[in-house]
Amino acid sequence: MEYYCRLGDGHLIKMTKEDMKNSIEAGTNDAAERGEIPALTDDEQEFLLDIMCNPQKNVSVEPGNEIVVTHDIGTIRIDGDQGNSGVGIPVSRLAGILIHERAFGTDTMELGHIDYSFKPVKPIIFQEQQTVERVNLLATILVLYGAMPNLGLYYYPDGPFNNPSERFQAGDVAGALEAQEKAAEHAHRDMVYIMKNLWDVGCEGVNFDTTAAAGDADFYATLMATEELKRDTGLVVEMGMAAENVIGIHGSIEYKGMRLAGLYPHEQVKVAEKAGVDVFGPVVNTNTSRDMAWNMARAVTFVKACVEASDIPIHVNMGMGVGGTPMFETPATDMVTRASKAMAEVAKVDGI
Amino acid sequence: MNIEIGGDSMGKEELLKAVEDALIKLDEGALMKACDDALAGGVEPLEIIEKALTNAMTTIGDLFEKGKMFLPQIMVAADIMKKATAKLEEKIPADQKPEKLGTYVIGTVEGDVHDIGKGVVATLLKVNGFDVYDVGRDTPLQNFVDKAKEVNADIVGASALMTTTMVGQKELIELLKKEGLTCKTMIGGAAPTARWAEKIGADAYAENATEAVEVAKKLVGAE
Amino acid sequence: MGMPIAHVMASGMQGIRAAGDLVARMQFAKRMRLKEAKEYVAKKLGVDVIELVDVEVMRNLREELDIGVVTSVPGAATGIEAKARIAELLGIPIAPVERLKSKLE
Repeated sequence: MEYYCRLGDGHLIKMTKEDMKNSIEAGTNDAAERGEIPALTDDEQEFLLDIMCNPQKNVSVEPGNEIVVTHDIGTIRIDGDQGNSGVGIPVSRLAGILIHERAFGTDTMELGHIDYSFKPVKPIIFQEQQTVERVNLLATILVLYGAMPNLGLYYYPDGPFNNPSERFQAGDVAGALEAQEKAAEHAHRDMVYIMKNLWDVGCEGVNFDTTAAAGDADFYATLMATEELKRDTGLVVEMGMAAENVIGIHGSIEYKGMRLAGLYPHEQVKVAEKAGVDVFGPVVNTNTSRDMAWNMARAVTFVKACVEASDIPIHVNMGMGVGGTPMFETPATDMVTRASKAMAEVAKVDGI
Repeated sequence: MNIEIGGDSMGKEELLKAVEDALIKLDEGALMKACDDALAGGVEPLEIIEKALTNAMTTIGDLFEKGKMFLPQIMVAADIMKKATAKLEEKIPADQKPEKLGTYVIGTVEGDVHDIGKGVVATLLKVNGFDVYDVGRDTPLQNFVDKAKEVNADIVGASALMTTTMVGQKELIELLKKEGLTCKTMIGGAAPTARWAEKIGADAYAENATEAVEVAKKLVGAE
Repeated sequence: MGMPIAHVMASGMQGIRAAGDLVARMQFAKRMRLKEAKEYVAKKLGVDVIELVDVEVMRNLREELDIGVVTSVPGAATGIEAKARIAELLGIPIAPVERLKSKLE
């Protein structure tokens, strides 16, 4: 007998139970080997197999196992599209937040700007302050302000510093490292400037989205910003990562004695805790060429280790192409709900 | 064949392994010594380059992909490999010297400003023996074509991070064909997939930087 | 539909439709893990943990406590008013509420 499954890019395939079982085993072992963490137990793999082979189109958790669902970007995706999965209904960001609160049932929301990085917010901070004030008058749920640290915007041609890629290719390693260190200082300063201004008008918290997307220096800048914001304001901080492994583009940057390059989710969260992060969002990227049984087992393995290592709530990132979700703009709900259930009941996350 | 080194007998495989291990450990002194030992042991210099040094760089690429080694270390590896290669090439007749694997033009398509991943790929390709021409990010498609013609590219690689910009990869492939270029094409980035590559007629797709190197080598027939 | 709605349907606590927003607030405000946050909120509301996601129980309770309900009811607390009541109920500061109070003082 064959069961429906999908590839990581969302394409529908069929697999036998034996194939699914082997995929799950291979996926969890891949994560275990890379992260030097335990693979899923036989029972957990069996449970995942049952989820994958469930004949229902969509699945859900058992009553009592419900988790918190926080949402990043969200409001931007209703109005427009900044590169992934916007639906083009012209509503204000305020309306977008209320739609998520009152129609979609999310537990928190996020206000973000269409050019979803921190650096572009700086010149329009007054606009964002006013929007935060209005949102806070009407929203009942917790609303964070979110953006990407995006260290890449501090490199030439968008920013004042040399592009490390160009420096590496020119053989100038010292120049590449210096560029990252200087960019990190600026990014730290900008993130603090923006969030302190928003705190002044009553913003509840910040979501640093896709932290470390530009490597370990990007991670460092965000940790430093977190530390300063937690020290000087009452903002709550959510930190969502960009990949399961921090790319070592610098390689030597440390935060409180811990080298940041190469960290996996169970290690990333401990560094985030030291900076003062309140909620941590690990990311595991979906391999678009592998089947979702493999991808899901792999993602759950990494996240489970993160949950067990953590002292703070873990809200696993489960958007397009991450956390066991297919890499497709409109991912099929059959796989999304399976991943949701797996993360809630096997990885035991505190939220999505 | 065995040789005596310091009183111990070492076979060819062991000699090559010593070269490989020294490069992986980024130990320049040990690498040079291991190369000398291998040469003294009768191992052909070309074989040392093509087996031991190349294998080591492949392993280093894997370690980078797993987060066990980092980009500056890749550069160090490339630097000492270059020194070792230069030393070995002195023993190789001019007409047998190893050539560059190929010429690779890489960039991020117009409208897309992401280049961190593309930069990592470019760096890894370079250290693995390709001549790399990086045309940058948010690059007009004609720039890819012009550069490919100028340098007689073997492969043109295009990166796109977003679903809205990946159509640029399709347009680039069409443009390359229209302008009569016969180079191979490769795509990558967060949004593109293997099926997208197939759909638009790209010759290859890579999931990550390390895979990009392996795929590129296959495209030029290097493995 | 593919992401927020699918997740909420599969595993979510449904926000202000039930008590998900309150549990989320305790996670953020006090770094409570899920179990602890649920138990804390359930105790404050005087319900069992399982009832936190029971929309029938929570709708009536939220109306009674006037902490915001998901449908649009004239006169019912919403927005900043609901947040003020939630802050008091849960015993946590909520930034926009604190700001409003300090401005009014």
